[in-house]
Amino acid sequence: MRKTILKGLAAGLMTATLPLAGAQAAVTVLGWPGGPEETALRAVVEIYNGQEGLAEEDRVEVLFFARDGFWDKLQADLAAGTQAFDLNLIATYSIGRYAPFMEPVTLADEAEAVYGESVLSTMQFEGNQYGVPTDLSLHFMYFREDLIDGLLSDPAAAETYGDISEEYLGERLEPKAPDEWTWDDYAATALYFTQAVNPDSPTRYGTVLQMQNLLFNMMVWQSTARSYGGNWMDDEGNITVDSEAYRRGLELYKMLYDAGATPADSTSYEFPEANAAFVSGQVATMLQWNGAAGELTNPETAPAVADTVAIVAPPAGDEGRSTHIHGLGLGLNQNAPNKDGALAFLQWLSTEDAALAYAANSGAPALTPEVVAAIAEDRPDLVQLGEFASQYGYVMNGATGANALSVYELQAQHFTGYWTGQETLDEALAAVASGMEELLSE
Amino acid sequence: MDRKRHLEWGVLSAPMVIFLLLFLGFPALVNIVYSLSSVSFQTLRAPELSGFSNYVSVLTDGDFWRAIWFSLRFGVITALAECLVGFFLAIFLAPLFEKRSWLLAIIMLPLMVAPALVGLMYRLVLHEFVGPVPHYLWAWFGSAPAFLNVANAFWTLVVVETLQWTPFAFLLFYMAHRAIPLEVREAAQMDGSTGWDMLWRIEIPLMAPTIAIALFIRFIDGFRVFDNVYVLTGSGPGGSTRSLSIYVYEAFFRQGEIGPAVAASVLLFIASFGVLFFINQGLARRAR
Repeated sequence: MRKTILKGLAAGLMTATLPLAGAQAAVTVLGWPGGPEETALRAVVEIYNGQEGLAEEDRVEVLFFARDGFWDKLQADLAAGTQAFDLNLIATYSIGRYAPFMEPVTLADEAEAVYGESVLSTMQFEGNQYGVPTDLSLHFMYFREDLIDGLLSDPAAAETYGDISEEYLGERLEPKAPDEWTWDDYAATALYFTQAVNPDSPTRYGTVLQMQNLLFNMMVWQSTARSYGGNWMDDEGNITVDSEAYRRGLELYKMLYDAGATPADSTSYEFPEANAAFVSGQVATMLQWNGAAGELTNPETAPAVADTVAIVAPPAGDEGRSTHIHGLGLGLNQNAPNKDGALAFLQWLSTEDAALAYAANSGAPALTPEVVAAIAEDRPDLVQLGEFASQYGYVMNGATGANALSVYELQAQHFTGYWTGQETLDEALAAVASGMEELLSE
Repeated sequence: MDRKRHLEWGVLSAPMVIFLLLFLGFPALVNIVYSLSSVSFQTLRAPELSGFSNYVSVLTDGDFWRAIWFSLRFGVITALAECLVGFFLAIFLAPLFEKRSWLLAIIMLPLMVAPALVGLMYRLVLHEFVGPVPHYLWAWFGSAPAFLNVANAFWTLVVVETLQWTPFAFLLFYMAHRAIPLEVREAAQMDGSTGWDMLWRIEIPLMAPTIAIALFIRFIDGFRVFDNVYVLTGSGPGGSTRSLSIYVYEAFFRQGEIGPAVAASVLLFIASFGVLFFINQGLARRAR
């Protein structure tokens, strides 16, 4: 009797779990949760799974965990030899850290024609390709076209603008079109549109800076230093952050913060807080990730400003314009339970059709001009993305190393310390330089 | 007979001993080994012993001592604030709760929310452009303080923590207050004790053990604060709101300095154990 009951229970259990097992995908992709990347990944996975003749065990399913601390959790999982996913997210700045737990991959033959060599290289480490570049991130200078047009067409406003620039920057400047801005022009414009500086300003703040003690904010800021010629280290491996270029970039932010050109709470701002400030209609300019373009130009998500938002490349320093670039992509877990299925998906994902589908569903792949032409009308920001990346994109020396994330963390702590008056500029730069010596020599 | 009792004691306590060894002893041992090793994520399974260098590195790190100072200040101030507010709520609102017990459920609501969510919530609530608090301050006064800038972040965090955990202290005090026997109060009243006199001479002394426990628990929780501080300020600006827990987390995951991070957590464990030991001694002495 007891045996019969046990058999019955076992049979019932098997029957109950069979449909689940059948439906369970054999290739699991750990993606970047939230935002356009998740939307795009879900869409292409659906297309992939809809292909005729795809073996059941090669179907793909997606897995997400929280965005906060994503890289930390991924690191712990990979180091522990997880088999919970076959493919996982990687980024240019973290490949070095994760490469020991991943395997190089081979992409589709057409991948180079779709992305171009420089974009593919954002997923390379020590000469090996570690993933498909799904999204490219860089920075746009967003501004309120209506406000800037008003400034440019008003002689009295130009006079005030000149007075403000003379007082804060030591040089009398005239208003310019944003596409011609240097960092001084940007700063003067930000000050002009700040009510604390110019009580007649139509906006409360001229800009919104992201100054939270966070590594991604360093990526946003460092293009100022880069455009003045700054770098993490020179070709011989000497740390070069204690330079005039870094000082000018850091001082620019401090001056704007101290003058009240950005909200006083900017020291707790990152991507979403800065966007929230900008869409309120109380901010005139913002240097922000390209990923914000959709939100800021959409009348549903930014009703107060969407129609007036325009985009140019970041302002120029002495050595022209610069924008930090890094790629997000998908790579192969060394302990993937289904490597063949995972590689097949990666190969498909690196084809032109898949890349265009990814782009059409909110993704931000950096495509070659020939490929992006197919969706230029729907996604003009992707055209700018490609242009800016090729003309102004840079990666700091050492920024793909195993400790790149730690370097950004170190900079974030000390540079936000300087901006908020807890450290002097000399102290902050000295602490960062000595910390980087240690981190980048490992 | 003694032998039998020893055997019984051994058999009965074995599950607990095995549990402690497995779930506390083993991780503690692993942590001690890591704290004495040169270890990275790549060598987690084969750490190389390196003596006390991790401890030296931690104890000579200015950031570690700044984190200790933040945690101590935060723990003491929030524990005092929570207990003070909780105590007065428990005493002065007690008659109200006796009539409307559903108010108790409302007052306990903050305890139901995860601290990380509380942090996220206040990030929105205090944001100058989307938060209701700055919105009304701007509307009424034409400006609002920057709640999370370097000048105000510490006190904002204290208020957020206090708002979330005061209900915990309140609950302990409310129950302790209710547990005071009616006869004691009546006897005191017969002797002419009323109002403040009753509070100072009768109720507070009788609630003293609960007050001590509440202060201790809230101090420990405040001292090891992580979630809402990390979500609200990311330990900044410039590391000014880095608690000891955040220091350990950042060293471990962000900087990949596993040895020093574990050494710091071992030091934290020793310090906590020391405090617990002395408090336990004190309570035992009081009981005797």
